[in-house]
Amino acid sequence: MTYYEPKPHKKFFEKTLEDYRDSIWGCARCNWCQNHWGWNVKSAEYSEICPAFHEFRIFPYAGMGKMHIARALLEGDFDYEDAPEVAKFLYTCTTCGACELNCQRLQDKEPLQVNETLRAQFVKDGIGPMPEHKGLIKSVKNYDNPWMQPRTQRDRWARKIAIKDIDKEPAETLFFVGCTVAFDNTQWHVAQNTASILMRAGVDLGMLGKKEVCCGSPVARIGDRETFFDLARRNIDMLNKTGVKEIVTFCPGCFKALSHDYAEIPDVPKLEATVYHSAQYFDRLITQGKLSFPCPVNKRVTWHDPCHMGRHCGVYDEPRRVLDAIPGIDLVEMERIKDQAWCCGGGGGVRTAFMDFAQKTAVKRIEEAKKTGAEAIVTSCPFCEQNIGDALNATGDEMGLFDLTDLMVKAMDKGEG
Amino acid sequence: MKKNAQKVIQKKLPREVYSALKNVVGEQWIHESRAVVETYSKLSIEGGSFVKKHEKDPHVLPACVVLPESTDDVQAIVKICNRYSVPFIPFTNGQVFCNPTTTDPTLIIHFSRMNRIIRIDTQNMSATLEPYVDYAQLQAEAMKRGLWNGGTPLATTVCKMASQFAFAGLWQTDLKYGLLNRNIVSVKMVLPDGEILTTGSRCMPRAGDFWEYGPGPDLMGLQRSGLGTNGIVTEITVKLHAWVGDEALPEVPGGRPSLTHVHDAKYDSPPEPLKNHKLLWVEFEDLDTQLKAMREIAHSGVGIGLNATGVYSAFYCSQTQEMTIQRCKEHFFPDWNCYVILANTTSDRQIPYEETVVRQIIDEVGGIFLSEDYKPEVLKALQPWNYDCIRHSHGYRMNRKFYANAWLPVGPLEEAKTTSREWKKALDMFGEIDITDRGGADDTPFVYALQRGHFCLFETDNYPDPVLPEEIKKAQGYGIYGAAVVTKYDLGPQLMAFVNVEPFTTMFPEAGPNAHLFMRKLRKVFDPNSVAAPGRQVFTEEEWQQFPDEIKTAVNKMRELNDMPAVR
Repeated sequence: MTYYEPKPHKKFFEKTLEDYRDSIWGCARCNWCQNHWGWNVKSAEYSEICPAFHEFRIFPYAGMGKMHIARALLEGDFDYEDAPEVAKFLYTCTTCGACELNCQRLQDKEPLQVNETLRAQFVKDGIGPMPEHKGLIKSVKNYDNPWMQPRTQRDRWARKIAIKDIDKEPAETLFFVGCTVAFDNTQWHVAQNTASILMRAGVDLGMLGKKEVCCGSPVARIGDRETFFDLARRNIDMLNKTGVKEIVTFCPGCFKALSHDYAEIPDVPKLEATVYHSAQYFDRLITQGKLSFPCPVNKRVTWHDPCHMGRHCGVYDEPRRVLDAIPGIDLVEMERIKDQAWCCGGGGGVRTAFMDFAQKTAVKRIEEAKKTGAEAIVTSCPFCEQNIGDALNATGDEMGLFDLTDLMVKAMDKGEG
Repeated sequence: MKKNAQKVIQKKLPREVYSALKNVVGEQWIHESRAVVETYSKLSIEGGSFVKKHEKDPHVLPACVVLPESTDDVQAIVKICNRYSVPFIPFTNGQVFCNPTTTDPTLIIHFSRMNRIIRIDTQNMSATLEPYVDYAQLQAEAMKRGLWNGGTPLATTVCKMASQFAFAGLWQTDLKYGLLNRNIVSVKMVLPDGEILTTGSRCMPRAGDFWEYGPGPDLMGLQRSGLGTNGIVTEITVKLHAWVGDEALPEVPGGRPSLTHVHDAKYDSPPEPLKNHKLLWVEFEDLDTQLKAMREIAHSGVGIGLNATGVYSAFYCSQTQEMTIQRCKEHFFPDWNCYVILANTTSDRQIPYEETVVRQIIDEVGGIFLSEDYKPEVLKALQPWNYDCIRHSHGYRMNRKFYANAWLPVGPLEEAKTTSREWKKALDMFGEIDITDRGGADDTPFVYALQRGHFCLFETDNYPDPVLPEEIKKAQGYGIYGAAVVTKYDLGPQLMAFVNVEPFTTMFPEAGPNAHLFMRKLRKVFDPNSVAAPGRQVFTEEEWQQFPDEIKTAVNKMRELNDMPAVR
């Protein structure tokens, strides 16, 4: 297929490497997959955007390198036995999307899509995913979550919250909780905050409770499309049956999966409800006058853009407006923000398979945050909060870490500072 | 994946060489994995590397990649290469001229770990850099201090300043600041034999790093445009100049794109140029008027940049390929034009005064300014240039393909006419690859007025489809034809502007009678063991005899088409 030949429209998850052939061959080595968009560079220190290339300094770790590897594999120039470590290069990538965004902006090519498609090929050919991911897949298949936790524990976080069980009572809006927040008790407060804020704002909220299943994002990212498709079908069926018009989720992975990825799966019904990240929903409630913050929270903070919420789905301004609405909050920005945000290191299966690298990446983000003079990082993603949180604990750093809802609840109840 | 396809596997270095290199850099920083070397084998704007991939030629694959951290590491590596006769190639991004040049297992020396700005001397206005520092990085740091390097190439992060030393270093603002090569204070280099050379006043221990000459003959001149064949730059000191803009480029009011919304023009459209800068766009009715106006403006002394861009605006200022093609077809951007970059480098009154001068010139010569009253939609579409003229972020959008062939003659301004005429002749003779090839034939070539208009560079390119080897070869044919053209009309040194590269050096001896013989002498002096990308800048007699006959035949054919005798 040549450059100008019209290409049949295919959904992302039905494409194979062959569908990216002209793109793969045409990589221009422009370096934008590794570097901060030129207009926005404010320092040499923060001029790179790819965590893997930044760490390992060789091209297989960059978007460009993956395009070149994909070309060679596609054309049969080498195969897996000639380079047994090839899967490692592809999986040492958080799927943050920085490479693809800059590449799309300049060259209309798709290094991240190529990476994910190649991962799917690796899984099909039995050389992927990484050994450490196999437990994750098994857990999703056996327990409907990647954390090896029994289904019956999924709604423990909600024991003290009077939130509707949508199986028993209809609701306008569904809170899709997500696996990480549900099963990680250090993050229960986020789910509790989110639910209580929404209900206090008058939202008619329900949840699936124990019936909720994984959105499938973790398995999608590591290339197990078969498991992902199965989860998607189950979720779409279940969610459509609830009749809700709106779904709110706190997890950017779930948000991207429900709002974008499901639509790219062939031969599945459409998810009828509109999906929001909670930050978008809060922003709307504030604009509607249904949410306000009477108590000041006097803190200087910096916002970390989660990749799957920001760069992937374009939700940049809403959380910033929410922070702006909280009296006393002094928001200072890091250099690499929004579309050029530095990844926390937690996504794409990297935390499971390459924890060292994930943590190093988080440390760099923390250092960048400290340069702003902020007391705390604020974000809205369970993976970011886990990875950055672990890095803060490991280093003993005094930088604070808050979920957006933590500050909102303080501002609604008693304030701080 | 293709089953039963012919594999392409690289040669390996002898084990004792690998061990010796590993002892220098450590196991973490040496790689010979097939997957790794693949990513150093297909270059950016070198059609030959693409053709070799299509032909499954293993010689495009290096044997090994090594990543030094310091000049000492580089020296140790080069000495090992000399001891074991291993060809090496210095590599930053892999834009061009970074492939193995012999069939021997070749070592890539990749500088990604040497990415520090060593110092910025604000008092004496210079910056010393390691080889992987790019323009965006240096600009960002210098602008915080009220300084900048003086210009941007089209590809702010592709181009590392040390690599550009291997060429000339072309900027949007060459009118005032000159090429990169005129902005170098000193270099520290590891010569091909492992000796270290420091140029300029810096080489005298207490003199300081301020002057590019002395003591003795100007050895920098022997290194410039050497394509890494006369040594590896491990430190480069560049001049800085006063910067009158903001400390950082302001946010574009349209916001930031995301993967769901990336192609909206609003993200690429800063409505105004940077503080204390102004762009004036002028349309002309023909090339002669354009060139006359450009000459007058260049010689008047106003402006920091003076260029003309035809089809390139269709690339850089269009957010989708459909827009590019449509705009080419419609001649949306003015066929004959120039843009003048003005700056208040000395006072707030400089721009108003210089604008008056430019307007007077245009009044006399003929031309219309793009404005709110004349083609406002075109002026709006050209907004990316407001920032790109200082920090070019769109400049590597080469028609969204790769540019396998570029004509880059240099010469007096009027020679743009020769370039356009010959390019059109070539297109008529060989046929277009893409509608965008008409850029430079039906409209102005890219024209950079250099060094106050003393001479200019002109550019026309074509962009073959990378999956079609026959198109790539055709584009390469254009390149060879172009080399003949520039030689025939004495349009500056060879194809890639300020660079001599084989086989053109040997096949076009008119470019400098016996220049290739002189360069053979230099190579014997600097590279006695012939390890620094041998055959890149000059062929020895032996290498020349081994060079494929088909390419010699192709070059002679192009010479013949230009009424030049064949070279034996």
